[in-house]
This record gives sequence, C-alpha cells and structure tokens, in this order.
Amino acid sequence: MLAPMEITVETLQRLARLGGFAWTDAELEAIRPGVLRLLEMLERLESVPLDAIEPTTQYRML
Amino acid sequence: MSDLVWLSMAELGRMVATKEVSPVEVARAHLDRIAALDARLRAFITVCAESALEAARAAEADLMAGKITGPLHGVPWAPKDLYSTKGIRTTGGSKILAESVPSKDATVVSRLSQAGAVVLGKLNMHEFAYGPEGLNAHYGDARNPWDGSAHRIAGGSSSGSGVAVAAGLAPGSLGSDTGGSIRIPASLCGITGLKPTYGRVSRAGVLPLSWSMDHVGPMARTARDCALILGAIAGYDPDDPTTSVLPVPDYAAALGGDVKGLRVGLLRAHFTDVATPEVRAAVEVAARRLEQAGAVVDEVNLTQIDHVAAASSAIVASEAVAYHAGWMRTRAQDYQPDVRERLRIGAFVSGAHYVRAQQVRALVRREVDEALAKRDVLLGPATPIAAPVLGERDATLGDGPSDVRSALIRLTRPINFSGHPACAAPCGVTASGLPIGLQIVGRPFDEATVLRVIDAYQRLTDWHTRRPAVA
Repeated sequence: MLAPMEITVETLQRLARLGGFAWTDAELEAIRPGVLRLLEMLERLESVPLDAIEPTTQYRML
Repeated sequence: MSDLVWLSMAELGRMVATKEVSPVEVARAHLDRIAALDARLRAFITVCAESALEAARAAEADLMAGKITGPLHGVPWAPKDLYSTKGIRTTGGSKILAESVPSKDATVVSRLSQAGAVVLGKLNMHEFAYGPEGLNAHYGDARNPWDGSAHRIAGGSSSGSGVAVAAGLAPGSLGSDTGGSIRIPASLCGITGLKPTYGRVSRAGVLPLSWSMDHVGPMARTARDCALILGAIAGYDPDDPTTSVLPVPDYAAALGGDVKGLRVGLLRAHFTDVATPEVRAAVEVAARRLEQAGAVVDEVNLTQIDHVAAASSAIVASEAVAYHAGWMRTRAQDYQPDVRERLRIGAFVSGAHYVRAQQVRALVRREVDEALAKRDVLLGPATPIAAPVLGERDATLGDGPSDVRSALIRLTRPINFSGHPACAAPCGVTASGLPIGLQIVGRPFDEATVLRVIDAYQRLTDWHTRRPAVA
C-alpha cells in the first residue's frame, strides 16, 4: 500500500474540479476535517478480509 | 380538544365504516388540532385543509353510497414532504424545491388514496432527508412534544412524522429511512415506526437520498396501524425496479397472537451494550417481558457491525452527491449548512471505496441472516439515547463519548445496510420523562413476524398509549 498522502486544500481543490465542482479554498478548508475523518475510516476497511466477497450490486432481495 | 385525535387508525376506520363518525368530522378534528398546536410544534410544512375536507367529503359520499374501500376508508394521514403529491408542493424540506409541485402522486401516496385515506398535509423533515436530528433551517425545526419547556430534537430525518403522530396531529404517516430516519424519530417521539425490507415498498415518486439504502415505511402509534398502512402500500411496482414480486400477506390478520416459543436474540455488543444505562435497562426489561410471555430469549453479537459506519457513509455520501451534483454546482448556497457540508464531503469518496463498502455490505447482510437463521427476530435499542436538547453535541454511550449525530444513527444504520425489516416502538421513559425505543429486526420480507412481536408487546405494556407533555 502507498504511504498515506497529505490531503491539503490544494489536493481537495484538484479533486473537486475533477468532479466538476468549483468550491473556494475557504469552503474546502471547512470540510477538510470531515473528509480526513471519512478517508481514515475508509482506509481501515482495507484490513477487512473481503477478497472472496462479491459486492452487493443487486438490490432486489427476492 | 376532540378525543378523535387519540384514536388509532384501526379504530377510526372501524367507526367510519359503521357510520359512528363521519370522515369529515375526523378530518376536521385533526385540522383543528394542527391549527392549535403546529405553530409551536412545526410538524407540518404544508397543511392541506381544503383538499383534506374535500377528500373526506368524497369518502363520506362513497360510504353513503355503500362503497367502502377498506380499513383506511376516510382515515386521515400525512406524508413526509419528500413524497410526490399531485398538485401539492413537495419540498423535500428544501429551499431549492420550495415551489416544486408534482404532476403525479408517488406510488405509495396513490395506493393510500385508493384505500380511501385522506391527506392532511406534508410533514417537516431534515433537509433532503440528510440528517438524523430532524433539523430544518428553511421551515423551522420540528419540536419534540415530550418536553414542553426545552427545545428537544424530534429525531430525523422524518421529524415532522414523529411529532405529528406523537402529538395527535395525524394518526399515521409515511416516513423514509436511509440510516434510521423512520426509527429514530419513532424512538425519540414515543411512537411505532417500521422500516420494511428493501424492495417491499415502492420508492417511485419519493425524493431519493441514497437509492440503495432508502426504505419507505409507516409511522403510527401502534403496530396494528403500521400493519394497515403497510398492507395498503406494499408490493411490486413497475415504476420501482427494486420492488419484489413476492405476494403481500395480510399483515393485520397476522396480529393478535402471542409470542410463545418465538426465538428472540437480544443484540448485545454494538447494540444494547453501547446504550445509556436507562436505555439498556428498558430494553433488557422488554426482553424479560417477552420471555415471561413465552418467548425464548438468548443473546447474540454481530461482530461485523464495526465496519458499518465507514462503509455506509461511503455509500450514502456517494449516492447523495450523485443525485445532488447539479444543484451543488449551481445552488450550493441554498442548502442548509450541515447538509451542504455532508454533500461536499461525499465528492471525495472514490469508486474503489464505494465498491469496497458494497463488499462489506454483503458481509454484514450474511451475518444478520446467520443470526436470524437460528432466531425469529433480533431485539435491541432503536437509539442508544433519548431525545437530546437542540444544539447538544456530545453524548456518553456505554463504550465512551460520541457526537450526537453518530449516536443517533449507530443502532439503526446497520439494518439499512443489511436491508432487513426493523420496527421501533416505545419501551419505557427516562427519569426526565422522555421516550425510550426498542427495535425488532426480522428476516427478509417477514414484516408479519416483526409486527406480530411489537403488537404482542403492546398488548402486554402501555408505553405506546402515553401522551406527550405538549398534548
């Protein structure tokens, strides 16, 4: 796994633009802690053994 | 104030059918109560007094002509304001859709109208259903009726539904539940709320938050009323490709039995054990009450639940920002701040994160299925805390400190993730008189057993008959 990269406002700005969102530095700075928290939580999922598990893609249960 | 507002939907339907009361009288009693209390409670975004009375008069005319459409004929109700209602604005609790008037009813609204039920108005909610507190910056926060002095949250996102039903402004409602949005306000407001199995009820015409996690379901004061509503709305809908073709049982007819021999798994780790001491004690007493009535209660731990917070956040955040992307580019300033922030955060979840989250989902669903293979239902708290005061940020749970938002969704969200049916119902009050809610989780498409357990519990106890301070 790659070493975790620093998530700066500049990083967020580039990613947001990639998604078609033009948000200001101040707006991105405000959400940066929340983004970091979510990404840290998601990183922990990497340690869950899921190789043999198909993702849920069909939602009709019966 | 008329006692009609405290009757159940089942009782109102019976009295209408036997002409003991007119549908117009019933609608008027509820509209009078809304006029008297709603400026304070803020349960409604739109009150439809004229169309409600018109529908009630039509129901009365049908009755006089010998035409009765079923147990909900002439019975009033009110949907959360994210259900499309023909000719009535459907705001989603937002400024963005403040003037949006659908040309067609949502499938479930149409089905309840065909059953003869009368729409009183549209109910308040957390903006676009994206928050468990039930806050709304545009139409005002719905107020929990159980505390007449402090401003306590109603829970959300179906906050208006919780308040309206608890305070006798409407006998029943439809909420929607993506992370607990039916069961959280049901728990905090002391009413009964059912999240059916994913696919049991059509979402067509319902504003989405997260397509794969959204569930539509009834909120009322009793399990029997939830059964009546579910019976009217459940079933396949060609306009919602996720709805199941399985036949719809007669949910109301399945009620009335006991729980002798029923196998109940008390959810321990990650559920009952993380609740505050008052909530934990109330749920344990409820488990003992079922045991005394003949149920076989054992304990169960779901170990994969630890991963649900991260995985479901990835799914809901991704799907929500996908739906809102257009408005987030052009009208971001029109969202209330907390919702805007959550939507923005969702833009940074990758496709790989999303798929991994869906793998975790399969794992969790399998674990819940395995727990239910040996048991008929699972039991735990619906929320680990009772209603917080507005602005309260921190809670202390059985396993340490938590922010209020995470605490509210902690015990309900896993069951959105797995898709199983789950029903919240009152099972006690705190020392300060606030409701405590339990939840019963069942096997896929076995809403009948879930409702049967709640109904049996409600015949053993009187928590669901208590009225809030404001009432």
